[in-house]
Amino acid sequence: MAIPKLYQWLLAASIFMAAWLSYVAGFFQTNLRQEYHNIILVLPIYLLMAFASYSLALLGYRVATFNDCIDAAEELQEDVKEARKDLERIGYKYASDWQ
Amino acid sequence: MPGFGMDQAVGWSFVSLAGFIFTYYTIWVIVLPFVEPDQPIHNFFLPRFYAIAGPLVAGVVALALIGAFIIYVSMPKKVKKS
Repeated sequence: MAIPKLYQWLLAASIFMAAWLSYVAGFFQTNLRQEYHNIILVLPIYLLMAFASYSLALLGYRVATFNDCIDAAEELQEDVKEARKDLERIGYKYASDWQ
Repeated sequence: MPGFGMDQAVGWSFVSLAGFIFTYYTIWVIVLPFVEPDQPIHNFFLPRFYAIAGPLVAGVVALALIGAFIIYVSMPKKVKKS
């Protein structure tokens, strides 16, 4: 899709807030029960809290499952050794080997 | 999987904290209006006013701290005269 994700979210938030504000300001008449009315009144803050909890959980999950990539590190060390052998074979001298 | 280190403990505690906050707030805001006011579950929750005021105050404080931090970081450093 060509529309950036930011604009999609902004559009959805604007539509939701427009509907919510028109309800709170009383632009249309409803005969909802008092309980539903109370819930709708706090709905934006509830969504904000849900987003905050999701962000915190995602942060914690990524921290908990952050990898050290031990296999990749070992493979890289093997590659370094191999390259070193190959270079020594064709007469390359390392500064660290000089005594 | 590598051993259970400090990072894993911190990460999973963040996840549990987020889950607890979400569950508690959902019960407070969505479920509690449908429970009769004389039920004992109401003893575990503050009045509904704080369900709105708490996050608002926390958000204002957080934004103020972030703004103060940004101002502090982006201020030009004083050049020492030697």
